[in-house]
Amino acid sequence: MKRRTFITGAFIGTAALALGVNLYSESTLSSQAKDGQRVLFSILIPVFLDGALPAVASQKELAINSTVDAIEQAIAVLPEQQQIELAELFELLESRLGLLILTGSVTSLMLRDSAELTRILEHWRFHFLEMVQTAYTGLRELVLTSYYSNPEHWGRLGYAKPTFLLNEA
Amino acid sequence: MAIIDPITTGLTSGWHHVDASLLNENQHFEADVVIVGTGAGGGTAAEILTNAGLTVIMIEAGSLKSSKDFDMEERHAYPNLYQQAAAMKTTDKGIGIFQGRTVGGSTTINWTTSIRTPDPTLDFWAQERSVINTSVQEMQPWFEKMEHRLNIAEWQYQPNRNNGVLLEGCSKLGWEHTVIKRNVSGCWNTGYCGMGCPVNAKQSMLVTTIPAALDKGATLISRAKVTHVKHEEQRVVGISAQCMTETRQPNGVELTFSAKHYILSAGAIHTPTILMRSNMPDPHQLLGKTFLHPSVLSGAIFDEQINGHSGAPQAIYSDQFVWRDGAAGELGYKLEVAPIHPVLIASKTIGYGKSHAQIMADFNKLQVVIALIRDGFNDQTGGQVRLTDHGFTLDYPLTKAFWRAARNAFLSMAELQFAAGAKKVLPMNDGLDFMNSWKQAKQQINEMDLKVLKTIVASAHVMGGCPMGEDLSTSMINSVGRSHYFENLSVFDGSMFQTSLGANPQLSIYGIVARNATLLAEELAPKTSASS
Repeated sequence: MKRRTFITGAFIGTAALALGVNLYSESTLSSQAKDGQRVLFSILIPVFLDGALPAVASQKELAINSTVDAIEQAIAVLPEQQQIELAELFELLESRLGLLILTGSVTSLMLRDSAELTRILEHWRFHFLEMVQTAYTGLRELVLTSYYSNPEHWGRLGYAKPTFLLNEA
Repeated sequence: MAIIDPITTGLTSGWHHVDASLLNENQHFEADVVIVGTGAGGGTAAEILTNAGLTVIMIEAGSLKSSKDFDMEERHAYPNLYQQAAAMKTTDKGIGIFQGRTVGGSTTINWTTSIRTPDPTLDFWAQERSVINTSVQEMQPWFEKMEHRLNIAEWQYQPNRNNGVLLEGCSKLGWEHTVIKRNVSGCWNTGYCGMGCPVNAKQSMLVTTIPAALDKGATLISRAKVTHVKHEEQRVVGISAQCMTETRQPNGVELTFSAKHYILSAGAIHTPTILMRSNMPDPHQLLGKTFLHPSVLSGAIFDEQINGHSGAPQAIYSDQFVWRDGAAGELGYKLEVAPIHPVLIASKTIGYGKSHAQIMADFNKLQVVIALIRDGFNDQTGGQVRLTDHGFTLDYPLTKAFWRAARNAFLSMAELQFAAGAKKVLPMNDGLDFMNSWKQAKQQINEMDLKVLKTIVASAHVMGGCPMGEDLSTSMINSVGRSHYFENLSVFDGSMFQTSLGANPQLSIYGIVARNATLLAEELAPKTSASS
């Protein structure tokens, strides 16, 4: 089996974030891989952001979609090595063998309910192998920072940037 | 009120600025002195050398951004102004590192805290690390000079509540605490220093020394990444750089530079990286030994509004625990606070789902103390920069000595927060829940498991990697920043430190580089100006 560099290295960081500005015109990910990645995050975002996402279904869907967009942009500004590590994790999570190793079942993540997804995240979060924990911390930071980078998601925080420069634009 | 952007004004007035992303042909540049990097070291040196009548070129890998670009949003600031979009991590991903990558370097995005090099640090370097002529008394005039130049003064406003908690907790417990000096002029007290000062109050290199050097004819080349230092025998004979696109990829155009003297001020990761990549001599394997002030965080919820995003980010610090067991003894820690902004807090807290959503819902009642752990004074802590196929990696193992200090720091922070009236406290160590009393916190913190990835550890102070001193077995440059191996090469940045500092580094870099650059200017300057 091909050695996965993310297993020895790790991954993403503060995911910095953020987004808004796409600094790389080309990503190392193919468009097919990007589609898979979007599906993966659309499944994980409601779990990571349970309690933070809007309750109204249409608004919730909008928030999830804009966060998936922000995640894509965040990944695009990461250094090449981290992009490679992430791409390998996504690939692993889409393969039956990878799913079996990381989640204990070959069932696609799309077919798991939220309780099962939470159980998987908890399993990774407190896993004895640092490489699995790294998958958790990397995905966690990517999702949470991408969501909270968007001013539209600051309503529950009571946070807004000062307005003294707004007339300048 | 209209904000005057000194960069826009200067460019209009005819400054020599080259945006390397726009070049499509290889070019060669010459000057008396070429400086790699425009942060605290490069910026300070550029002004002093230009004032001495020397021709100076500054090369910066980041972009030239200024107040017109600083929109107070993390989603734009981090990718535009920080190394690796603020996502830089150590090799095992155990420590997140914040470092600037823009004209002005980290001075453009720091929180303005200005502290002279602590006396025990300078004493330790003199006694243990063969550093000469850098005593507290000898450095005093240089710190005074840079404090004057950058308007560094004690913060006169009332601290915001985030800092107020630190002040109150220290007062109640009888712990040492100090009002912070800041490099600001006409500060609006808004709290967005970390995203670039939107009103040009912060006296960063971007709005002080760099414009002064450009006014006197220096050249700034942005988006050019230095890749190689060419050397023959005991002389550096050239530097080469890649032009970078707006999207931070090499565009295939190469720049070369030749000068009488070369200065590396690329910061404590990139200066050693450039030297390693250039196969510079390092017989004692000293290059890239790095210190980080690795820091742990403690959150507290108060009944009152804290509004930690608003107001000067840092106004108070406590040195109660920094030197308690002597410089080379158990690792000490400095207590400060961190500003509360959404992306920063979302990532540097713990958990997800409902528990995380609740922390974020209490955003304006959240107070955060940080403990910066003083590393490098013994062999129990430290990192190593290494070259990789894709660039570099910084390996920083978190050792038992570090975890001992971290546990003590979590205890101190919780004790302080409860003393100041916190309703509940959460050490940022995954798996914990909020603690409701100091008694409960004391027990749980003493018993909790601390571990890489589980414990949130961050750094904003990269230091070391090309140390100063007179003993060739423990230093790469002499006590005034000159290479031991090349007669026309200096290193003027945070990589010169023999250890971490036990204090936020910008003023240490300003003061030591001001002295070193002045000595260099006396040597290099046209003789006619020496008598003026």
